[in-house]
Amino acid sequence: MLAYLSRRALLAVFTVWAISVLSFAIIQLPPGDYVTSYIAQMASSGSVVSEEEAQNLRIQYGLGQPIYVQYLKWMRLVVVGNFGMSMEWRRPVAEVIGDRLWMTVIVSVSALLLTWVLALPIGIYSAVRQYSPGDYAATFAGFIGLAVPNFLLALVVLYLGFVLFNANIGGLFTLELQDAPWSAAKAWDLAKHLPIPALILGLAGTAQQIRIMRANLLDELRKPYVVTARAKGLTAWQVILKYPVRVALNPFASTIGYTLPYIVSGSIIVSLVLGLPTVGPLLLRALISQDMFLAGTIVLLLGVMTVIGTLISDILLVWIDPRIRLEAT
Amino acid sequence: MTELWRARKTATLRWRFAALLVVLAMVGVLAAGALAQGGKSGLIGKLEGPEVVTDPANSPNVFKEAPQLAELVKAGKLPPVAERIGQDPLVIKPLHEIGKYGGTWRGGFTGPADFWNGFRCCSGPDHLMFWDYTGDKAVPNIAKGLEMQDGGRSWLVHLRRGMKWSDGQPFTSDDFVFWYEDIYKNKDLVPTPSAQMAINGKQGEIQKVDTYTVRFKFPDPYYMLPDVLAGATDLAGQGFAYRGMGGFAPAHYLKQFHPKYVGQAELDKKVKDAKFDSWVRMFLAKNDWALNPDLPVVSPWKTVTPINTPTWTLERNPYSVFVDTAGNQLPYIDKVVLTLAENLEVLNLRAIAGEYDYQQRHIDLGKLPVLLENQQKGHYKVYLDPGDYGGDMIIKFNLNYDADPEIAKWFNTADFRRALSLGIDRDQINETFWLGTGTPGSVVPADSNKYNPGPQYRKLWSTLDLKKANEMLDNIGLAKKDAQGYRLRADGKGRLRIEIMTLGGQFVQYTQISEMIREQWKKIGIDLQVQEVERSLALKRTAANEQQLGAWNNDGSEHLFTFPLHVFPFELAAVSTSGPLYVKWFHSAGTQGKEPEPRMKELMEKWKKAFGVPEKERIQLGKDIWKIAVEEVYIVGVVGLGPAANGVRIVKTNMGNIPARQYNSPDGKTPAISRPVTFYWKS
Repeated sequence: MLAYLSRRALLAVFTVWAISVLSFAIIQLPPGDYVTSYIAQMASSGSVVSEEEAQNLRIQYGLGQPIYVQYLKWMRLVVVGNFGMSMEWRRPVAEVIGDRLWMTVIVSVSALLLTWVLALPIGIYSAVRQYSPGDYAATFAGFIGLAVPNFLLALVVLYLGFVLFNANIGGLFTLELQDAPWSAAKAWDLAKHLPIPALILGLAGTAQQIRIMRANLLDELRKPYVVTARAKGLTAWQVILKYPVRVALNPFASTIGYTLPYIVSGSIIVSLVLGLPTVGPLLLRALISQDMFLAGTIVLLLGVMTVIGTLISDILLVWIDPRIRLEAT
Repeated sequence: MTELWRARKTATLRWRFAALLVVLAMVGVLAAGALAQGGKSGLIGKLEGPEVVTDPANSPNVFKEAPQLAELVKAGKLPPVAERIGQDPLVIKPLHEIGKYGGTWRGGFTGPADFWNGFRCCSGPDHLMFWDYTGDKAVPNIAKGLEMQDGGRSWLVHLRRGMKWSDGQPFTSDDFVFWYEDIYKNKDLVPTPSAQMAINGKQGEIQKVDTYTVRFKFPDPYYMLPDVLAGATDLAGQGFAYRGMGGFAPAHYLKQFHPKYVGQAELDKKVKDAKFDSWVRMFLAKNDWALNPDLPVVSPWKTVTPINTPTWTLERNPYSVFVDTAGNQLPYIDKVVLTLAENLEVLNLRAIAGEYDYQQRHIDLGKLPVLLENQQKGHYKVYLDPGDYGGDMIIKFNLNYDADPEIAKWFNTADFRRALSLGIDRDQINETFWLGTGTPGSVVPADSNKYNPGPQYRKLWSTLDLKKANEMLDNIGLAKKDAQGYRLRADGKGRLRIEIMTLGGQFVQYTQISEMIREQWKKIGIDLQVQEVERSLALKRTAANEQQLGAWNNDGSEHLFTFPLHVFPFELAAVSTSGPLYVKWFHSAGTQGKEPEPRMKELMEKWKKAFGVPEKERIQLGKDIWKIAVEEVYIVGVVGLGPAANGVRIVKTNMGNIPARQYNSPDGKTPAISRPVTFYWKS
């Protein structure tokens, strides 16, 4: 087991390094650099950056150097835990991301919890009561959840919230509390703003998980061991919860690998539409403005999270499902 | 198998049918959400604004201050108000009435690159000179006055006696000399000197005369200096301090970050502690009005939470030199809170929802009907401030295009350019995209602009005349057409096909308007291809001379001499260009690039000459420049004098001293030209 883990860890380090090279290269691919996008942004707001000033900026940011020099420069910083200065925000990258990381985690985790709280019981119910009105309702709602792009849903909910309840447009706090230090009032304010983004973010995932749970459970329910257990006199729900549901949970464990990066980034488009101060919009913005260090760090962070998440998934699966353990050895 | 769990099994068809019904009902509800058309009458009012009182006889001599400042004075934490303001206040006569202190002004901004947002609303502005509300005349601002000497070669800037920085330190001529000697002349901070600090390519200098007098000295007459100090130029206050410009800087504060005054070891340590790459980056960040809350300023509001956080907050400067005619220290409003909107849609939605008190920047003209519809509910009023520049949409011919000699030849044929301009149905475009609020015509600025050459130039070559356009194209050698009615190239290589490059995601829908022009040009047999590109690519292509036609606007061109880049080829880094080789020729005094055709050359020479001649002569030169621009149609004006760029304004109904219409221009830092220091909450 130890050898297995250390082999995985070594591979993970290599993967992360490869991700860092790749992300840096991808950010360099579009034409121009931070300065070009800065000029374009200035032009859109009616001001001008002269050729001399542009050259000056390139020198100051070291953008004229070859890519590998820039990469090495960045890596030297990363290794000592300094991720460089964000060009656009003119603050250390770690601070810029740090500002938003906790908010992102709060939003994502609540969306995730909501997904599971809704999806597991409904999925089980749908499978057990296949073709019942309840199953149809859940299936119907589930397909709508899958089919409606959630940014559209976000816009509709924003609009309805504004028209019907005069709710704030976007954001996680009311204006007065945004900069206030943490207090009971601020936490309550957050709690009031959280349900809408959590619901919207969670809905598509919920639909998907319902379908997965339903399909897996249906497979299991048909198996002879279930019939045997039932025949031996266990009550219906006892059987279901104790055996088939446990087996059907495998896919949930294996999706954790993808869930972890999602938790730190949040959904980009929905966050953008809802005006959430999360990491997602930050990444998009950094990519658009070609703010290399910021974009690179976020992509690197996502990569690391994926790698860690996959590792956790593997370990979890081995732990939940003895069959995998047996096959592995 | 399911029988194991339940006894009965219901028919499924019924449920499927019910589900279908639900879906149909939902589609119906969505389709019912139709947009109501809003009327536009009464949205454009009379141009008005506050005035600067320059006569010391009318200056108040007893001062009052905001209640919270009075308390600080009482507590002994702040000197008395008269001491803070000094002997020569900057007196502003509010538009309607004397206001009341207090309140917060909420607005939106889009991120750290949106610093113009704050300069416009809250910097006062802190220019030495500034425009009166008509945008035409430069009047004293932070400077008490300008005095011309030696036939325009020397200018005395008189400062206000006793004026202070926001930390209470005196604002004196030393701050100008420090800026000039240690920032502007430092090659690390400012590698390329400003063209605005020079005349005929020769740099000027700044000298101290006495504590409250500074001399700007130039080798040749520089009659334009008052306008340069008033406009949004390199010499105009702390707005551009982030790149080392401004004309003055707080010497007492910045010296601690400058290698001339601090030992190298100590400076290196500071740089390292603050995690900067170099002292230059640190110095410029410390000198950034929007970024550094510790930076002493002379603007009426100062940054307290910086622009790179979710809320950019500005609070009153207790040492503000601005006062109203009754002696109240300005601003009236305590605090300005700009909240970060992750995108423009959210910003516009918040505006519609009434979450902003005054917002002009980033408001989308296309949202006008919805904005009007929600006026009552959001307790705001919508105003339109049409710009004074001629083109919210212009089309530039790249006169240097050389990848296809045939196309290059036509672009350099005046009648080709004129014919294409005559082939545009501007009224249709105005109705569709400006909701009728724009003015169709050429590129010239508003009739009221001092450089406007006369009303006939708005129409010249800029009306719809298909017959004439077709005749002209026939006559220059493009008479042959193919089966679809498109004109054929003279070199026999098929159809004459030209390309226009546009950018998406802007407030003017360049792509969609270009598509409409494409349809209109079919009638004159011209095949136009519309290419929307990403902005960085656009910049790259214009600089590489790969652009044929480019769509953009000419905002700023109403101030012809401080903002010339959309009048003739002046900037290389532009999203649309009239000729990158001409730009190089112009800036290298003819040693690089390509020599322009005679009329373009004439235009450029007149522009250069204008800086060194008295105003009357300059106005004539300005008119001549616009005449050439319109006669030669280097740039086609489509629709302009409209509110598309920063021209839709929403203001809470209980905010006072709000002009019915204001001068809208980047050079006027609108709304700074309406002096937001005089805005106040009526209730």
